[in-house]
Amino acid sequence: MQPFNIRPDQMAEEMLDYSRKLGKGVQNLLNAEKIDTGVTPKVEVYREDKLSLYRYEAPGDVVQSSVPTLIVYALVNRPYMTDLQENRSTIRNLLAAGQDVYLIDWGYPDEADRSLTMDDYINGYLDRCVDVIRKRHKLDKINMLGICQGGAFSLCYASMHPDKVKNLVTMVTPVDFKTPDNMLSAWVQDIDVDMLIDTLGNVPGELLNWTFLSLKPFSLTGQKYLSMVDVLEDENKLKNFLRMEKWIFDSPDQAGETFRQFVKDFYQQNGFLNGGVKIGDRVVDLKNISCPLLNIYAEQDHLVPPDASRALRGITGSKDYTELSFPGGHIGIYVSGKAQKEVPPAIGNWLDERSK
Amino acid sequence: MSDSPFWNEDWMKTQQQYWENWTDMSRKAMGLEQPAKSPLESAMDHWWKAVSPSTTDFNQDFMGKMMDQSKSFFRMAETYYQNADGSKTWLEAANRTVSDLQNMFSGGMENVFNGAETAGDDALHKMMAFWEMPMDNWQRMVSSLSLVPGDVLRNMPHTDGLDRFLSAPGLGYTREEERQYKKLTQRVVEYQRALGDYMRFFSNLGLLSANRLRDKVQALVDEGKQVDSARGLYDLWVSSSEEVYGEQVMTPEYAKIHGKMVNALMAVKQKLSHMVDESLGAFNMPTRRELRTLQDRLQESRREYKALRAEVELMKEQMMDLRKPAAPAAKASAPKAAAPAKKAASKKKATKKKAAAKKSDAS
Repeated sequence: MQPFNIRPDQMAEEMLDYSRKLGKGVQNLLNAEKIDTGVTPKVEVYREDKLSLYRYEAPGDVVQSSVPTLIVYALVNRPYMTDLQENRSTIRNLLAAGQDVYLIDWGYPDEADRSLTMDDYINGYLDRCVDVIRKRHKLDKINMLGICQGGAFSLCYASMHPDKVKNLVTMVTPVDFKTPDNMLSAWVQDIDVDMLIDTLGNVPGELLNWTFLSLKPFSLTGQKYLSMVDVLEDENKLKNFLRMEKWIFDSPDQAGETFRQFVKDFYQQNGFLNGGVKIGDRVVDLKNISCPLLNIYAEQDHLVPPDASRALRGITGSKDYTELSFPGGHIGIYVSGKAQKEVPPAIGNWLDERSK
Repeated sequence: MSDSPFWNEDWMKTQQQYWENWTDMSRKAMGLEQPAKSPLESAMDHWWKAVSPSTTDFNQDFMGKMMDQSKSFFRMAETYYQNADGSKTWLEAANRTVSDLQNMFSGGMENVFNGAETAGDDALHKMMAFWEMPMDNWQRMVSSLSLVPGDVLRNMPHTDGLDRFLSAPGLGYTREEERQYKKLTQRVVEYQRALGDYMRFFSNLGLLSANRLRDKVQALVDEGKQVDSARGLYDLWVSSSEEVYGEQVMTPEYAKIHGKMVNALMAVKQKLSHMVDESLGAFNMPTRRELRTLQDRLQESRREYKALRAEVELMKEQMMDLRKPAAPAAKASAPKAAAPAKKAASKKKATKKKAAAKKSDAS
């Protein structure tokens, strides 16, 4: 058998069809001016510098948990990934599962924020947000849900402030930063982080974008745009694509001093496993975490490989550790239809069982 | 009617005529004088030129990316189409395409880096732009960090004897200034070398990808499967490239090349920044270094201020407690109101919250 069965008339027809779709679809593109993101109603309950703490409004007919959950998103990209659109919203589904949801929006740091350290973020901003919520709800402890780098921050926080965290959920969170399949980690080993930060001040979003797109350059900067032609004619699918596109390139700069410590202590020194991480005047020791832990990872995650997340098992002081694997990628775990049906309800059930 | 086992040549000619007429018509409609080499690509260019002015910036960028990929797609189809013409069997056409790719990657990327024109300008040469994507991404990123568009440092002229010249000590009144410029030039040369290593690495990957494509084609034959569309061929090429890329960029060799390139660029920028600072200082203007010192000091003061404020708040709460007769002792780490509320919370395990709480004044 021959490997190719492409007749010239078929090829010509294929090209014509492609051009036809492109031509027809452009009208939808011209009409799709405003891309909405962050769809669930929310109220800002606290603001400090560029940070905002939001509380999301639950549907009126849902009985909410008495213990609120604070979502700690990464400093990379924007947190509206968790509330991208009505049918792709982890937050909306957490609310539907009876959770009382708060989220920290770190904002867009500029050059004046260059000196913000991990201590400022974790023992400063994050701790004050936790205190605001504790005070509002008159509770000693609240639930925390950390995402990616925000998950690493949450682990640090829970180890330094165990008296304030009732339950901890980590999603696609790196713990072992040096697994053999961690491409990002392999790339930063030979980078002079001190020179990078001393030179640039903050780390530009463009540099981070380049790094992430370089993980799969042919798919992420090429093939996906070709695939897009197939859905250009469908206005809704086009808007979904454009929302995701906006999120990918909506990449804030990272405060230089925080990036310096995060890369050196974690990506280069693998601090959760090897120890030696000090944030401000406190030592990060995961053995200090005794609260229940739910660790969720994505099986096809190209940014945080599953083994990088699974390393959390057995290295904390918690006696109640649960793992949840999801058959998807780093982003799919928030936006895919399957994830919407499975992940937030699973988190809700797990929290409910432990928030009584 | 041709007796070619490959396809009907008369039909081929009719198709070619169709595309040529179509291109000619659209060229005239758009007032373009120069004939384009690929009718598909050319038609797409014309269409995009007509449409793009009416799109928003965001959509223009997005569409631009889609157009670039469409062209790669068409080039891939065209390359295969050209190779198929004259081949006796499909397998021969596939082998010719893969061989052309291998030849191209054996020396093509070197030429691109050295600024030399590659032989001819057919679809296969243009297809190399596909394998320039990782480098294109890098140059876009460098451009975003620079005042001038593109990666100007990449093409800055340099010669082999430059190192020797740059290491010679400066003389006279402008000695220090000369030394600064020489140092900067040295760093630019180092960056160009690092970038050259990076590009050569990708040149090798292109060759490996062509081999991987051949393997995948063979695997299809073994499994009794066929590629039945140009898109299928394109996807096969993407998956071959991505697989090889994924394997190679995980090697320690790549980590070194990648690290060297980023570090070399930072060294250039750092030197430039120092020189700009010196010029600003000479004009009695604030420098970046001074600003950063101020930022650090300000942040330190803010840290102290926030810590003191937290202490004051705690003391206020403790004072309030002391004023209350027979109030239970406060737990130092928890907010004062937490103790009585905890009881209430435990009684009422699930409460329906009807209204959002008022905005905190904690800021």
